[in-house]
Amino acid sequence: MLHRRVYQFLIIYFTGLAALMLMKYSLHLSDYTIPGVTEIWTTCRRYFALYLMAVLNTLCVAILGHLLSICMATIVGIIGRLTIWIGSFIRVAAYNIQAYPIVAVAPIIFILLGDGLSSRLLIAAMICYFPLLLSFIGILSEPVKEIEHFFESTRRMNWGLQVKIRAFENIHKLITVIVGSATLAMVGTIVAEFIAANAGIGYSIRIALYQSDLAKILVALFLIGICTSIYLVFLEWLGWFIKKRFGTI
Amino acid sequence: MRLELKELNYKYPGSVGDVFRQLNCQVTEPGFHALFGPSGVGKTTLAKVIAGDIRGFGGEINLQRIHQILYTYNLERIPGWYCIREHLESITPESNRQRLQDLVDSFGLQPCLNSRFSQLSLGQQNRTNLARYLLQDFDLLIMDESLANVDEITKEKIILKIKALFPQRCFLYISHNVVEVSKFCKQILVLRSHHKAPQAVSLQGQDFNGQRVLKEKDLEQSMLEIVNAS
Repeated sequence: MLHRRVYQFLIIYFTGLAALMLMKYSLHLSDYTIPGVTEIWTTCRRYFALYLMAVLNTLCVAILGHLLSICMATIVGIIGRLTIWIGSFIRVAAYNIQAYPIVAVAPIIFILLGDGLSSRLLIAAMICYFPLLLSFIGILSEPVKEIEHFFESTRRMNWGLQVKIRAFENIHKLITVIVGSATLAMVGTIVAEFIAANAGIGYSIRIALYQSDLAKILVALFLIGICTSIYLVFLEWLGWFIKKRFGTI
Repeated sequence: MRLELKELNYKYPGSVGDVFRQLNCQVTEPGFHALFGPSGVGKTTLAKVIAGDIRGFGGEINLQRIHQILYTYNLERIPGWYCIREHLESITPESNRQRLQDLVDSFGLQPCLNSRFSQLSLGQQNRTNLARYLLQDFDLLIMDESLANVDEITKEKIILKIKALFPQRCFLYISHNVVEVSKFCKQILVLRSHHKAPQAVSLQGQDFNGQRVLKEKDLEQSMLEIVNAS
């Protein structure tokens, strides 16, 4: 699983790099616009360790933000599954609010919370929260009648059992959406760091951008891709383990 | 024990046609009874009305000495995180613990106990589902195609076991099999299209309990009456 994802990433990355080189040499662009292979390699050797730490920093925040958004989506999804007015209100509100771009709200978060960890965490969580929430609400508010009927008839049903049945029956969908939103968490964290932060790979990319140093950006992109692939593979393995543990595969 | 439906009227919200129009029928004693009729005539709807799963109908349902009604159908499933043994043990009331092993043996569920529901055959799934309802406290159990996909020999064994174990309870068995309905049921409510009057006809079945010899002629007579009525 890991090697396949890494191979896929490497193919895409080096195809992109080859396209850049093709552009550079066919249009006779300067090293200032698109650095040569030697310069990229030199930058890589010089900044690899520094950028690796920055990517790991970003990844940690992304994982925390991802966990936070899963918790929030679960709680709101549990309330949103209710058939009374509060459930209906939350469902409608979730659909409406998710249409609002979080990046547009990000400056408010930075003004209120500053450019530290809390802002990065919050933006990362918010960016992957809404896709998760919509899926969680959809899954948790959809009755599994052929299982729930017995528990309702015999008056054994409670909210915990209902959530457990619906989550278990849709475990494949839940795992897919959680894995999918992990990329969004990483993207959200980088965006947050890029807008205003004092750490992380997004912050490093912003500095490289001000220096117009494409070699640094390419090194950063390489490390982001590798680390994100590893995180996704870990989540897929976790999903596989959960499904195996409960006999759904 | 009495279940009486008086002038029952019902149509599904948004639909044009009635499902029931002035339907009258009654079951006046405990036993293994049947609800029979062609597909689409409203057997499942009637079962859900009696069980309280469907409301908003016209007419009356009078119940005497029937407090707990359960309705089970053949597509029900058990949560996937349980194996059959864990589930049956977790849903069996303390007062019915002794019945558990008896039902497991007579329903042929012993080999399935350590399996998950999804690993069972359709027949085993239906038997497991029915067994867990029989472990509950009930006065009336409506069995909607609950023994579908079960072979004839096992089906007979199960029905006879139910009749022996619960002589004072009321069962309403929904089936399309005219032979088993005629053979095992005491009273057969034949449900007909709402264009026909009366919409429900009550007939006597052979109520076979395994302790007497069943005359082939009587069985054929019952089957003929059911076919003619439906």
